[in-house]
Amino acid sequence: MNSMERILATLGGKPLDRRAVAPVLSLYGARLTNCPLDQYYTDPYSYARGQSAVFRTFQPDVLFSPFNFPSIGLAFGSELHFFADQAPNISRPAIGTAEEWDKLVLPDPDTEPHLLFLREAIRQIADECQGQVPVAAVLPPPVDLPVLAMGMESWLETILFKPDEAKRITDRVIPFFVHLANGLLESGATFIVMPCAFMSPAIVTREVASTFARPAMEKAMALIKGPMVLHHGGAPVLAHLDLLMGLPSTVAFGLDHLDNIEEARRIAGPDIVLFGGPCGPNLGRKTATEVEEECLAILEDRRKDAHFALFTAGADIPMSTSPENIHAIPKAAESYGKN
Amino acid sequence: MDIQRSLIDKICKADRTGANMLLDAWGEENGYDRLLQDVLDPVLVQIGEEWRSPGTVTLAQAYVAAKVAEDLMGRIAERSKITPEVRQKKGPAVIGNIEEDFHALGRKMVGTFLYTEGWVLHDLGNDVPAATFVDKALETGARVIGVSAMMLTTARNITKVREEIDRRNLTGLIRLAVGGAIFRVCPGLVEEIGGDGTAANALGAARLFDMLWADSLVKEAGV
Repeated sequence: MNSMERILATLGGKPLDRRAVAPVLSLYGARLTNCPLDQYYTDPYSYARGQSAVFRTFQPDVLFSPFNFPSIGLAFGSELHFFADQAPNISRPAIGTAEEWDKLVLPDPDTEPHLLFLREAIRQIADECQGQVPVAAVLPPPVDLPVLAMGMESWLETILFKPDEAKRITDRVIPFFVHLANGLLESGATFIVMPCAFMSPAIVTREVASTFARPAMEKAMALIKGPMVLHHGGAPVLAHLDLLMGLPSTVAFGLDHLDNIEEARRIAGPDIVLFGGPCGPNLGRKTATEVEEECLAILEDRRKDAHFALFTAGADIPMSTSPENIHAIPKAAESYGKN
Repeated sequence: MDIQRSLIDKICKADRTGANMLLDAWGEENGYDRLLQDVLDPVLVQIGEEWRSPGTVTLAQAYVAAKVAEDLMGRIAERSKITPEVRQKKGPAVIGNIEEDFHALGRKMVGTFLYTEGWVLHDLGNDVPAATFVDKALETGARVIGVSAMMLTTARNITKVREEIDRRNLTGLIRLAVGGAIFRVCPGLVEEIGGDGTAANALGAARLFDMLWADSLVKEAGV
C-alpha cells in the first residue's frame, strides 16, 4: 500500500498492511535540507524540498503544509520574529482592539504573497507526491484566526466581554477563511487540519465553545470543499469532544497525548478516524526506545480499532529531535503490523 | 450562598460583570477596605487550590479571575483609605518573558495575581535578555525572578537566566520561578532549564513566590 491508500483505507475502516503514521514534521524539513527558517517559511520551493526530504527520510503517511500560523498574521499586517530553530512568532499584532477591525482590510488569498506562499508550497508538494502521499493543509479555524491580527489577549477579551463584537469579527473572517481553505484544497491539499484552540477545554468554557465557537465553525465548515481533521489544539480535548461532533466535513479528530483514546472513541462513535500518539514537542526528550514502546502500547490499545492512525500530538516536532526518535514511530507501526 | 462561594461561581462562569456587581454590593455594605482581605484574597487562594490539577481551569476562567482582581484593585484604589504603599508589602519581584518570547498573556495574569496578593512588581515585558532580569533584581532587591515562556525553544533560553544568577554567585539568594504552557507539556523541563519552581497556573504564582522568597531568606541566613 502507498500512503494515500493507507490513509483512505483508515478512513474506510478497511484492512491495512500496517497502521498509518503521521508525525508532524513541517518544521523538520528545514533541518534535513539545512535551510534557514526565514527562507524555509517564505520560499515555497525551499519548503517543498524540505517535505521531500522528510518523505525520503521517514516515509510518513501524511506530509504537512507550513505549520506556521503567524505568517497568516503577517498577511493581516502583524509583525513576525524569526527564530533559528522554530516557526516564527508574532512579535507585534496588526491591531490591538476589536474596534480596529473596522479599519482592517482583510488580505486576498488569491494575491497576498504570504498566503500565496502557502498555496504554492502545497502545490509543489502535491506535484511531487503525485497522489501517493496525502498533503495536509494546516489552518486555524475562523474563531482562532483573529488572534493572528489582534493578539491572544485582545481576542480573548473580545470573546468574553464583547460577544457581539466577537461575532461581528468572526462573521467578517469566515469568508476569508473559506476562500483560503478552499484555495489550499484546490492547490492540492488532500484535507485540512484545524487545531481548534477556541474550542479547547483548556482555553474556553463549555458555554463559550458551544454558543460562540461551534456555530461559527459550523457555518464556515459547511462551505469547505474537502475533508477536515479537527485537532486538539495543544491540550486535552476530551471534555469538549462532543461539541466537535457533527461539524460538516469532519473525517477525523486529532487527540492530545493525555486524552484517553478509548474514551474518545466512545464519545466519537465507531466510524470517525482518531489520530493519537506521543507528544510531538516532547519527542526529543525521550529515547528512541521509549518513543517506540509508547507507540507500540498505543497500537496495542487500539488493536481492534480500524479507524485509528498514529500521529504526534501537539505542535511540530522540534528540530533538535534526533532522527532516531522519529524513525521509532514508523518502526513501531511496521513491527506491530508484522506481529 | 456566602460571598466567597458566590464569587467563585461567577468566575467559573466567566461572568466578570456579575462578579463585579457582587463585590460592589458587598463593599458598599461592609466597606471596601475589607474586600481584599475578607473576600478576594481567600477566593483567589481557594480557586488556586481547586484548580491546581491540570484540566480544571480554562484560560478564560483564569483570565476573568485576573480581570475581576484588576477591577477590584482599581475600585479599592478609588474608595479605600489604604494606600498602595501600605498594601503592597511583599517583594519586590521581577517578572518578564524570556528573550525571544512574545506570549504576554500568562505573564500579565501572573502580574495581576501577584499584585493583588500584595507584591511589589517590576514587569520587564516581552523578549527580555537574561542579564536584564538579574540586573533588575539586584537594582531593586528582588529575591524572586519570574520568567515566562510559551514554547520549548524559548523555555530553553531561561537556562541563560539560571547561568547568569549562578555566575554572579547569587545561587539560592535570587530564586528563579518559571511558567508557561510548555512546562505542563514537558515533565522535568523546570529542572532541565534550572528553574527553582513553577505553579500549575497563574493563580498559583503568589504561593510559589511566597515560598521562593522564604527559601531565599533561609539561604541568606545560612540555616
